[in-house]
Amino acid sequence: MSKFDHLDINPRILTAIKRTKLTSVESVLSLSGPDLERTCQLSSSDVSTLKHAIAESIPKPDPCTALDLWKEECSNNLKIKKLSIGCDVFDNFLRGGIISRGITELSGESASGKTQFCLQLCLTVQLPVTHGGLAGGVVYICTEDAFPNKRLQQLITHYNEKYSGLKERIQFSDNIYIEHISDYDGLTYCIHKKLPVLLAQGLIQLVIVDSVAALFRCDYENHEMIKRAKHMNTFAGKLRSFSQQYNIPIVCVNQVSDCFDKSSTRKVLPALGLTWSNQVTSRFILAKTSCPIQLENSIPNESVDGSVRKFEVVFAPNIPQIVFPFIVDKYGIHGLK
Amino acid sequence: MQRELSTYPLGPSLKNKLIQSGFMLVDDVYHLKPSELSRETGLSLEDALEVIKTVTEKDGDPTDRQSKGPKTQSALEILQTEQNQPNIITFCQQIDDMLGGGVPLSKMTEFCGAPGIGKTQMCMQLCVDVQMPKCLGGVEGQAVYIDTEGSFIVERLVDIADATIQHCNFMLKQNQDDVGELKDFTLENVLKGIHYFRCHDYIELLANIQLLPDFLKEHKKVKLVVVDSVAFHFRHDFEDLSLRTRLLTAMAQNFINMATNYQLAIVLTNQMTTKVRSGAGSSGQSHLVPALGESWGHASTIRLILHWVGNVRYALLYKSPSRKEKDVPYQITVGGIRDLIHDEDEEMGADNNKPIKRQKIS
Repeated sequence: MSKFDHLDINPRILTAIKRTKLTSVESVLSLSGPDLERTCQLSSSDVSTLKHAIAESIPKPDPCTALDLWKEECSNNLKIKKLSIGCDVFDNFLRGGIISRGITELSGESASGKTQFCLQLCLTVQLPVTHGGLAGGVVYICTEDAFPNKRLQQLITHYNEKYSGLKERIQFSDNIYIEHISDYDGLTYCIHKKLPVLLAQGLIQLVIVDSVAALFRCDYENHEMIKRAKHMNTFAGKLRSFSQQYNIPIVCVNQVSDCFDKSSTRKVLPALGLTWSNQVTSRFILAKTSCPIQLENSIPNESVDGSVRKFEVVFAPNIPQIVFPFIVDKYGIHGLK
Repeated sequence: MQRELSTYPLGPSLKNKLIQSGFMLVDDVYHLKPSELSRETGLSLEDALEVIKTVTEKDGDPTDRQSKGPKTQSALEILQTEQNQPNIITFCQQIDDMLGGGVPLSKMTEFCGAPGIGKTQMCMQLCVDVQMPKCLGGVEGQAVYIDTEGSFIVERLVDIADATIQHCNFMLKQNQDDVGELKDFTLENVLKGIHYFRCHDYIELLANIQLLPDFLKEHKKVKLVVVDSVAFHFRHDFEDLSLRTRLLTAMAQNFINMATNYQLAIVLTNQMTTKVRSGAGSSGQSHLVPALGESWGHASTIRLILHWVGNVRYALLYKSPSRKEKDVPYQITVGGIRDLIHDEDEEMGADNNKPIKRQKIS
């Protein structure tokens, strides 16, 4: 039984195509008209019928109008889900939260609050949809250092208190799947073998990679940049396909590198270059400022110098470029107006 | 009839046999019976019948473009049609001026740029603008949006549509025209006029492009086809580069055909890539160039590169058959693409949403 048998066209054309070495529908679509005429010995009108039939047979989402999207009368995969950050100011600025489209990148210098942001997302994602969450678990891929378990417990305690009124009590720590990875091979294994299994069960609503930079910044020599680009694209492509298939947000943490240009002010850019940037859908940068704050609840070893940090939206399809301050305290991150 | 048989849509083996047995022109087979042709050429009776059918049938039908070939037009005629065709304005006066009135119909326009520069915003803006009523210099068409990256966020589109509708109403009121004309230019109708196709891989993209002409036949109002972005699927997991070039060229050909057959504008977006210059003096220097390689550069008629200069967005007209190279600033506001407002008219700049006066109002 060949793949072409289900096509609803003249059997004469089908026999012609079966005589050739072409076995997949993809290869037929990839050939140009004259090429097909030559290989199949068909006339050009037959070839266009064939191509048309094949194009129709490829499973693809039906076109819909923007109005359908707006009213959410489209297939579930096209509906945009938003994951709340767990802070009204953040949600306000980010128009509801992290979107379930493509890769959301968080970059910033060390100790700018990236991991804090991610930890908070680990908890909000488990909240019911009515509370801004996605009612699911999270896969947390750790590549830099150990997962900050202590801090997570601290946040969980706070969240348990905050959401004690919920009908069903959430066991926050039961739905966080942590994976420590130290090299590209481990990463490949994880995203090609382990993640699909977890995702297929429908328990996971968020994937966090903290950080992508650690993996791609150190393991490659200067002459291996093409290989690095290939690896990055495969990795990003896989993550994006998860986002698409299961309609879940993907958050990647990235480091920054200094950027030298004529101006004397210090400027940082997210690491990994243009190849990676092209794969990113929304990019946020976190940074420390020198402006100090005095908070009653701040604990010295968490917010080291108690300074205000800033959150910058560099680009996102639905959010304007904005910068706003935020702080990290015992209860997590909070935006300031 | 002096037309050569080889120009007909016949299978190559048929053509070969015909030519080998000395049948070159239509006249040679025109009055033959299938059985006679079959005897002369050694073709099977069925094939002979098909040859005669193709030759005689298509010949008598003047509406069929395949047999007649494209109609010839004089340069004057083309100029006249082009001048009568409205352009799709971008809402940025300077970009419009640079392009000679906006994004032209029947042509392929490509926007290249680094991530975050506003390619998707530009596409959304054009999808809304193409639906502007004729009385305001619009095209009053519809749009097809082929999304390969998944960055089409409908809530952003609603922002832009709202601002555009507001602006149009404002313009009409200023001119004291009948506002009734804008009855149909509502958010609901604008959203209804944008047909969204999501393509998850390049096969889906190719299939959709293959089927698009049929869709256009059904939806005659479509005047704009956007592909955002053309590069995405072709830039990763694509080992066979010569296949990529072939596919891209074929795709460009399909688009050009659609653009001319249906008088619609094709807008593509493309990513940027780093190119390292080699050779003495400049070794190691790198600069940004549009992705997909040199041969793709020939595909689009008009090519714009969107880039940053400091904190200002600029659009550079990189390739155009009729306009000179130019670099103009623009900005993206809540309402979409707008002119960069200079200090001298700061009172207008205070409110980004405030519509900017455009020239093309009749």
